[in-house]
Amino acid sequence: MDDLRRRALIKGAAIGTLAFIVDGARIMLTPQEARAQGVPLRTLTAEQAATLDAVGETLVPGAKEAGITNFVDQQISIAAEQSLLQARILNVRPPFAKFYRAAIRAIDQASEKAKSHRFAELTPDEQHEFINLMRQNKLDGWQGPPGPFVYTVLRSDAVDVVYATMDGYAALGVPYMHHIAPTKRW
Amino acid sequence: MAYEKIDAVIVGAGASGSVFASVLTRAGKKVVLLDNGPDWQLTDLISSDIWGRRVKPAGAPVLLEGNHPFAAYTNQAGWGVGGAALHYFANFPRYLPNDFKINSEHNRAHDWPISYEDIAPFYDRVAVDVGVSGDAQAEEKWRPAGASYPMPPMKTFPNGEVWLKAAETNGIRFVPGAVGMSSTAYRGRPACMYDGWCHVGCPIGALANPVVTYLSEARKAGAEVRALCTATRVLSNQEGTRATGVEYYDANRQRQVQEASVVILAAWSAQNPRLLLNSVTDKHPKGLANSSELVGKFMMVHHIAGTWALFDEDITPHMGTVGAQFMSYDRYIKTSYPGAFGSSFIVTGAAMKTNDYAAARADLFGPELAAFMKRAARGITRITFFGEELPRLENRVELASDKDEFGMPLARLIHGFDDDALALWNANFEQGMKVANATTATTVWPGKPPFVPAAHLHGGAIMGTGPENSVTNSYGQTHEIANLWMAGPCIFPTEGASNPTYTIFAVSLRGAEYLAQNWGTVAG
Repeated sequence: MDDLRRRALIKGAAIGTLAFIVDGARIMLTPQEARAQGVPLRTLTAEQAATLDAVGETLVPGAKEAGITNFVDQQISIAAEQSLLQARILNVRPPFAKFYRAAIRAIDQASEKAKSHRFAELTPDEQHEFINLMRQNKLDGWQGPPGPFVYTVLRSDAVDVVYATMDGYAALGVPYMHHIAPTKRW
Repeated sequence: MAYEKIDAVIVGAGASGSVFASVLTRAGKKVVLLDNGPDWQLTDLISSDIWGRRVKPAGAPVLLEGNHPFAAYTNQAGWGVGGAALHYFANFPRYLPNDFKINSEHNRAHDWPISYEDIAPFYDRVAVDVGVSGDAQAEEKWRPAGASYPMPPMKTFPNGEVWLKAAETNGIRFVPGAVGMSSTAYRGRPACMYDGWCHVGCPIGALANPVVTYLSEARKAGAEVRALCTATRVLSNQEGTRATGVEYYDANRQRQVQEASVVILAAWSAQNPRLLLNSVTDKHPKGLANSSELVGKFMMVHHIAGTWALFDEDITPHMGTVGAQFMSYDRYIKTSYPGAFGSSFIVTGAAMKTNDYAAARADLFGPELAAFMKRAARGITRITFFGEELPRLENRVELASDKDEFGMPLARLIHGFDDDALALWNANFEQGMKVANATTATTVWPGKPPFVPAAHLHGGAIMGTGPENSVTNSYGQTHEIANLWMAGPCIFPTEGASNPTYTIFAVSLRGAEYLAQNWGTVAG
């Protein structure tokens, strides 16, 4: 049996989108679709979401539109055993929401201390400089999970939504070559 | 619900547990395997780095501490049927004769109580059982001759081939990687498609994970697998002379006891000692099989020195498998580098996915990362040196004060590298850079983060010649309790430098067959 035929045969078992709650109903969407449709967040506040959007976009251009905040919010709202976050394999101890809240709080507190504004309100250049200092653990008065670890986890999430999806592979010109595909292109 | 007593209960349905289950069921024994994760099927193995995380543990059941915490623990661990070998890279190098006698030859660490020659026949049999592809004769420049592998080497691709000439210039001869993958159709399993998704689980069965090899055989022979069942204690009789079964919590969080004539712990190197330490009784106040106080001691990992190279031409980084296209033992002699000690094992040509590209330059973000990703998609590759650390008492597993949902103390895995290990790690980076600089790559750099990357957990219940120096004998039978057995890399007294799973299979097969042959004596 040639490879293409074999791939076609095993494609039938595919699953892959996330379950979002819209008007009390459970629907399957990609994070990008959830963001575009304005699906309400379940765990993060609007302020926290704004910070995560801004941090994600600074880390990986395109992460905001790709739905990083909807991805993280949905993933920290379900049982840890079901989670797809890199936090799972980076030894973050469940519940993961606790880590994300602490990380976002630390970012905004440090930003307000250094620039008198929350991270989302900084200019793009200021945001880039801030992340670079956080990465190197050089932010004064940082209080929360270690800055370099926060950088690693949030950068991983941003990489996931931008580059680890089928669309992300296509954008880089890398053949995805799945055996069993996610049902949607992410 | 009370379960009737069975012949053997095995905790952990991964590589070593599956071998014991296969051998014992085929010997007519009634066997139950308990695994704390799901009963994964091949159809669950979605080709995606994101979705592939489902087959790994969630969070930190093991607290990672010490000067060099084993940060890769969760990423490498298994969760569910197949264990870590459901998502392993299936590199199948073997240990070499010098790994078994470090003390005799260098007056350091431990000798194994057995030699390479004791294991060699089992390497050859495992190769046939699971299906290994490679070139055994080419490897024999470094090791004694043995049987040929049942399949020829895997295909190679430019992301591996670009290293060959540069390595040889530096005295490193590469041979085809020995891998637990099918280069041709094998025993009803299809040939590999070279799509590079091995690390999230191979749903076509071309990769020799336990689900399609030993565990499949065990199930056909009648082994029962109970998924989502978390073992919490090994139970023993009042006299403290026999293991009587295993206490566990089932998928409904209900406490259960499975009595058995023989108990086999095969839950990897951190959880195995955790279980023994948590099984205290008045006869065993330090934990079962622990009068030596060596349970949880001598934890070891391989340090990793990966050197990256970026080529302008398209070298198809995504093609192949995550196993090695090429491997070399040319730095395996323990004294290969002045000022350092230990073996190094060298591989190259692993397929990479987009998450790997991003990880190659973890310092980059924003537009610089975006630009790098475009270049990496065409031209990135890596040469990797795995390095040995010697066993040390202070690298250990202990029980923490924190407990899990069943009231069982979490494990603390405390680990640090000594100066010898760090010297070897640095020497491997220097060697890797020399090789990389001899390629035609436009940019090369050492993948040297602020921490020491590591892989492959060993130790915690090491084998030896007696209770004064070890927890088990060479078969995995504990010195203290004849019907309590340990399986997996936990019993390795030293770790060599090559990927351990082939040796795990071989040592487990040897131990399981000994158990089956001596059942009457052991089971009572």
